[in-house]
Amino acid sequence: MPKYAMVIDLQRCVGCGACSIACRNENNVPDGIYWSNKITETAGTFPNVRFHYLPTLCNHCSDAPCVEGCPTKAMHKLDNGITMHDPDKCIGCRYCQYNCPYEVIYFNWQDPHKFWRNPKPVIEGGTSSPKEMAQTVNNGNGAPYSNPGRGKTLPENRPKGVVEKCTFCDHRIKVGEIPYCVEACPADARIFGDLDKPDSKVNRLLGKFKPYRLKERLGTEPNVYYIRSFNPAHYQRTKGGI
Amino acid sequence: MKAIKIQLWYGLLLLGILLGLITAYRVLIGTGFVLYAKTDILVWTMPIAAYVFFSLTSSGLAFVSSIPVVFGIKRYQPIEKRTAFLEIAVLFAAFTCLLLHLGSPQKVYYYLFSPNLASPLWWLGMLYGLYLIVLLLSFRKMHKAQVSKGLGVFTLIVAIATSTALGWLFGLPDARPVFSANFLAMYFPLTGFGSALAAVLLFSLAYHHFAKVPLSGGDRNLYEDLGKLFGFVMALTLVFFLWRTIVGGTSATAVEFGGFRHMLSSGWYHLALWVGLVIPILMITMPAVRNATWGKITAAALFLVGMFAGRLEMVLSGLVMPTGPKAEGQPPFVSYWPTIWEVLVFVSALAVLLFVYTLGERNLKLSEAPE
Ligand code: SF4
Ligand code: SF4
Repeated sequence: MPKYAMVIDLQRCVGCGACSIACRNENNVPDGIYWSNKITETAGTFPNVRFHYLPTLCNHCSDAPCVEGCPTKAMHKLDNGITMHDPDKCIGCRYCQYNCPYEVIYFNWQDPHKFWRNPKPVIEGGTSSPKEMAQTVNNGNGAPYSNPGRGKTLPENRPKGVVEKCTFCDHRIKVGEIPYCVEACPADARIFGDLDKPDSKVNRLLGKFKPYRLKERLGTEPNVYYIRSFNPAHYQRTKGGI
Repeated sequence: MKAIKIQLWYGLLLLGILLGLITAYRVLIGTGFVLYAKTDILVWTMPIAAYVFFSLTSSGLAFVSSIPVVFGIKRYQPIEKRTAFLEIAVLFAAFTCLLLHLGSPQKVYYYLFSPNLASPLWWLGMLYGLYLIVLLLSFRKMHKAQVSKGLGVFTLIVAIATSTALGWLFGLPDARPVFSANFLAMYFPLTGFGSALAAVLLFSLAYHHFAKVPLSGGDRNLYEDLGKLFGFVMALTLVFFLWRTIVGGTSATAVEFGGFRHMLSSGWYHLALWVGLVIPILMITMPAVRNATWGKITAAALFLVGMFAGRLEMVLSGLVMPTGPKAEGQPPFVSYWPTIWEVLVFVSALAVLLFVYTLGERNLKLSEAPE
């Protein structure tokens, strides 16, 4: 059985956010919800400041507290290591959100893609309404640009009252494709693969660089690894002074 | 005149329940949970705090009602039946809050079809289901004759299990050390017991007042006894409360305690400390106030108000500090004020409690001691 993992090379990552946009398109992620996200930080004191960018997503932890706490097994592990969610079994208690140390789970507080449910034309007598548009293009199922491919393993658009999060694009993996954020990254900063294959690309990178994972001390065993860091800055050799 | 007053009272309570139904319709079928002041940072707010408040009070009431049957202290028998019925009424209030918190309550049957035995939330759901059955059974027995010691002990064990499992539930994630399961497993049953004593005093003395039943000498002694016990439990609660403040608030340095440090300056914290503990403790330490009916009623009401504020402060302490990607674009601490819909959750739960209790008080002879 494969054990999937992702390596994010921070030296290659340029912080363009293409991964997050690709993720929204692929997974029909509604407004206010982020399966693929980032942590940004401005460090230093002006004028000596620097901007840091860290892409984030569900870490598909091997010892996932979100899975441990879920009362109905809606949040569960697949054999391939993916932390998967079943909206049919989800009672919307949000205990998984409370338990996830990485803040990557979101709740559908209202019906998704609200804009596309609006029956009012954008220009009265001039244009169709968003609802009509969605109806014509996509049978009223979410947004007109909704990706039906997502619907193979999850509802194409998740309903109100349940949580959702990154699934490592399990529907693509099923048909032999890599997650769409990996595909879309213009800098090839995301590398996806199988930890169970000793010679996989991810294993090669993990052996070559000193990887780290987020909040490792919690023992959740994340399967998203970070390597290197982007820093082209130089400084003159010095011992400082008092 | 009396009949009109009763009808008005029922009308008021039904209005409260109707408001709850409207809230349920609006959040579950209509607009959605955006009506609450919850966000993906504040995932749990007032409805959960109210649930914790009511469910712990209900378990605490089981401790009080078990005093005569389990511990053999017979002078508590006159309040046994009322306390047992209150447990049920308060539990219904807790369920109301939970129902209005869950995103998809229509799917709770998955508790049975897809159980996760590793989850404290699963255990809690099961235990509360069992608790309700045991309570109904106990009360039925009590109504007809007397609860057997075996059933009394079992009820007490289930009540202890529910209140301590709630500590496990909050304390599960290592990422939120502000909720220590070890601490909460003691603090929850203790404060539940305190809330229960306050509720018993409040409801029993209210019965004497509204039903115009004068207090007998025995009643007076019993309520004085209860008043002293209540004072002792409040004092113990204050000790725990202050230690929690010192250990997790003023002396902790870890980032994860930031939310609690922030809440130390909130109104909810001060309401819990001053209104809920310091003032009622001072009142109960004065014999003249403690022995007066108004003194006990006021202290009990203040304690319950403070307890509710404390439950909310505690829930918020673990959540107000955004972390990770959800901290992007957020202030260091998010603020919280309940929306009218969240207040209605509490109001409707209270209405359910009072409605069930009034039905019991009027039809089930709650002031009679079991045979
Ligand atoms: S990152 Fe959070 S949601 Fe993802 S597996 Fe780990 S605990 Fe669960
Ligand atoms: S919100 Fe859904 S997935 Fe999360 S713990 Fe509750 S039932 Fe499980």
